[in-house]
Amino acid sequence: MSIFIQLLVNGLLLGGAYAIISIGLTLIFGVVRVVNFAHGEFLMVGMYAVWLLAQHLGLHPYTSAILVAVMLFVMGGLMQRLVIQPLLSADAHIQIFATVGVSTALLNLALMVFGADIRKAEVTFGTEPMSVGAFTFVSGQVITFVVAIVVAAVTHLFLKHTYTGRGLRALAQNRMSAALMGVDVNKAYILAFGIGAGLVGLAAGLLAVQYPAFPTVGQYFVLTAFVIVVLGGMGSLPGAVIGSLFIGLIDSLAGYYVGPGLKEVVYFLVFLAILIVRPTGLFGLGRGSE
Amino acid sequence: MMPPILNPRVYIGLLGLLSILLVPLAAQSPFVYHLAIQVCVFAGLATAWNIVGGFAGQLSLGHAVFYGIGSYSAGLLVAKFGISPWIGMFAGAAVSAAMALLIAYPTLRLRGPFFSLATIAFLEVVRLLVVHQESWTGGSAGLNVPLQIGLPWMIFREKWAYLLVAFGFFALALAVSWLIRRSRFGFYLIAVREREDAARAVGVNAVRAKIAAAVISAVLTSLIGSFHGMYLTFLEPSSAFSLEMSIQIAMFALIGGLGTVVGPVIGTVLVLPVAELARGWLSAFGNGTHGFVYGVLLVVVVLYFPRGLVGHLSERVLRLIDRLPNGAKAKAAVLPAPAAQKPLATQGQPILRAEGLHKRFGGLKATDNVSLTLHQGEILGVIGPNGAGKTTVFNQLSGFIKPDQGSVSVLTENGWVSPRSPEVFAHAGVGRTFQIVQPFTGLSVMENIMLGAFMHTRNRAAAEAIAREVAQLTDLTSLLDTEARSLTVGGMKRLEVARALATRPRILLLDEVLAGLNPSDVTRAIEMIRRIRDAGVSVLMIEHLMQATMALSDRIVVINLGQVLREGKPADVVNDPAVIEAYLGKGYTHAQTA
Repeated sequence: MSIFIQLLVNGLLLGGAYAIISIGLTLIFGVVRVVNFAHGEFLMVGMYAVWLLAQHLGLHPYTSAILVAVMLFVMGGLMQRLVIQPLLSADAHIQIFATVGVSTALLNLALMVFGADIRKAEVTFGTEPMSVGAFTFVSGQVITFVVAIVVAAVTHLFLKHTYTGRGLRALAQNRMSAALMGVDVNKAYILAFGIGAGLVGLAAGLLAVQYPAFPTVGQYFVLTAFVIVVLGGMGSLPGAVIGSLFIGLIDSLAGYYVGPGLKEVVYFLVFLAILIVRPTGLFGLGRGSE
Repeated sequence: MMPPILNPRVYIGLLGLLSILLVPLAAQSPFVYHLAIQVCVFAGLATAWNIVGGFAGQLSLGHAVFYGIGSYSAGLLVAKFGISPWIGMFAGAAVSAAMALLIAYPTLRLRGPFFSLATIAFLEVVRLLVVHQESWTGGSAGLNVPLQIGLPWMIFREKWAYLLVAFGFFALALAVSWLIRRSRFGFYLIAVREREDAARAVGVNAVRAKIAAAVISAVLTSLIGSFHGMYLTFLEPSSAFSLEMSIQIAMFALIGGLGTVVGPVIGTVLVLPVAELARGWLSAFGNGTHGFVYGVLLVVVVLYFPRGLVGHLSERVLRLIDRLPNGAKAKAAVLPAPAAQKPLATQGQPILRAEGLHKRFGGLKATDNVSLTLHQGEILGVIGPNGAGKTTVFNQLSGFIKPDQGSVSVLTENGWVSPRSPEVFAHAGVGRTFQIVQPFTGLSVMENIMLGAFMHTRNRAAAEAIAREVAQLTDLTSLLDTEARSLTVGGMKRLEVARALATRPRILLLDEVLAGLNPSDVTRAIEMIRRIRDAGVSVLMIEHLMQATMALSDRIVVINLGQVLREGKPADVVNDPAVIEAYLGKGYTHAQTA
């Protein structure tokens, strides 16, 4: 029984890490209506940046998380402005290819520059084991989880209660009407893409404490994020958070009861089942089969 | 079917293909051989992918799953049981075909990125399972193919032998793709890609077309995978089932031109050698170089040449080629159009019956006990104020909406039948147009109409003949060669009618074909509808233009609030107080009496 509860705790904490990545992904999809296949590579770039900052300036990943979030905000904004904006009215397959192209280029660029070795910032804060009662976990996991909750809350408040946030939600529902109501579409898209990418930067700082950087690290996390976002419904913020916790639990439980090699199989099967049975996800915008 | 060899388009194309064989044979360098073999393999894979990704527009990013299945099936059969890969590759193809069915059927209704994500997920699942089943797949460590040299083992000492076999597989994929693009099946795939509803309205079984494309593509991919496995002599899950390879295959097709036969080949021939050379020149940078080149190229192509090299350059190149001797277009033989369908009922007898149709959308009764009958040789006008439920009735009459209660039956050669889906309605002789026009914009006017004609013939020439005849009836003859997207509104509406007519319907359902037309187009359209009726087709039309409806219709049905309000001769209907009230409200009658 205590193993089971320990697994639940592990799963929820892991879900917190996924949540930050997934919120960014779902925000970009919800507003810009583009599935960002390069999302994982943004994470990878962020993790290398964190590692470089730790290596050369001795910054703790939690400190550089802020810097890297800003850097990725700019990168995301640029990607929207230079790659996505010209293709807004293009066919879906063209947009897919565009983000896939960025993803391929970034991944291989990392391979060229850093090689295939893993790079890890060695820190103590964030890696100490903690225990509450019979359960143990790593302090960084708790910090990540707390930050994830804060990020979700702030994003939610921003979308609900600020003028800009309302503009983004209006855009998500109808691009043309929002433009008629005075929302500057291009600027809002750059903002949304920037925020989505910025959150990934934040996640990079948090994850770098426990995970090393390597060229395909983004694929590892982002395939899971896609599963989460489809599960929760593309474009849904609560969906992304609940989906993250759910997948975190599946990851942890399936890893123990089914076997570590097959846990991903389990959640990809969940993913396929959701796509096939209810492509709008649990809280989605209803665009899955369009 | 075979094109004339003396046509420059044909011999230039064949020479281009043969040069993939001849250049390395002349150069005799191992690197050039390797390059040519890789070009053959990837051009074949891209061509196979294009059948699903280009023709059918389903952007699979998990195609490596079929490649992997092909290479692993052949590899395992030869390693464990000593079965020749020439046999093993068919086992792989069978597994791939089954896998394609398994993937295609549930993902049919997914579009764009969702379909792509689903294909990636399938790829990941299979890869993880292959890694996990270590005991017989070799797991992540990989699998060595036994080095038995000789033709039966598909493993050779000389590179030229590999090249010949690779070229053979490539030629097979290309031939299949070419045949599909020219056939009715190819037309159907493009129609389903562009507008699934309109395709179903002309009798295309969209589900069957997509699944067939997926299976054919999977089988070809798998066969090539089997060969490539033997060429590499080493299989590992991380490269055989890789997302990277799936993307690469799709990318070659996109760069060359999606949905064209030569596009994937040209994309591969141009890009693959450049990337391989870059890998050599920039080897100091390690492994990522060619991938980086691919990624950057992909973004550039998408931004500046989204239709691919073939899409942007083919017209210019073809014009150059046509200047060569013999280059004038050969005129296709003009066949006489097959005879029109004979009317089954005598004038004035029922040919379509709707009985007690009910349809609710949530709390809204969109159709509330509607019954109507269309008679042979008449024009039946369906009118009603906005929101009365006319289009909902119309969609039930053509199978796009299933009624909650009630039935629609149609008189066919086999007596009265009640079709269940749009394509079955089309085959039962019911043609329809769409209120919001749905032309296949990428196709010419001629090809649009041919799509309808293909319902009764597989033969291109016969379909063309029908198209010409229908174009005559719908005033489109002079526009046959223009692209559908450049038509005026009036032209598009007539094209809608033409496409429906080309299916040789006995019943034609017209959904507001006069709406939005200028006065001269309205006059043309009215004459056209009369001509259609006189040709023996019974017409049911929804229309808002009162005068035109009054002038055209033999009978009129008025629908209001989802119910039939009145039915009768035009003159009686317009003077009916209930009808006037439905359109103009109670105030109007009060004002009249006052």
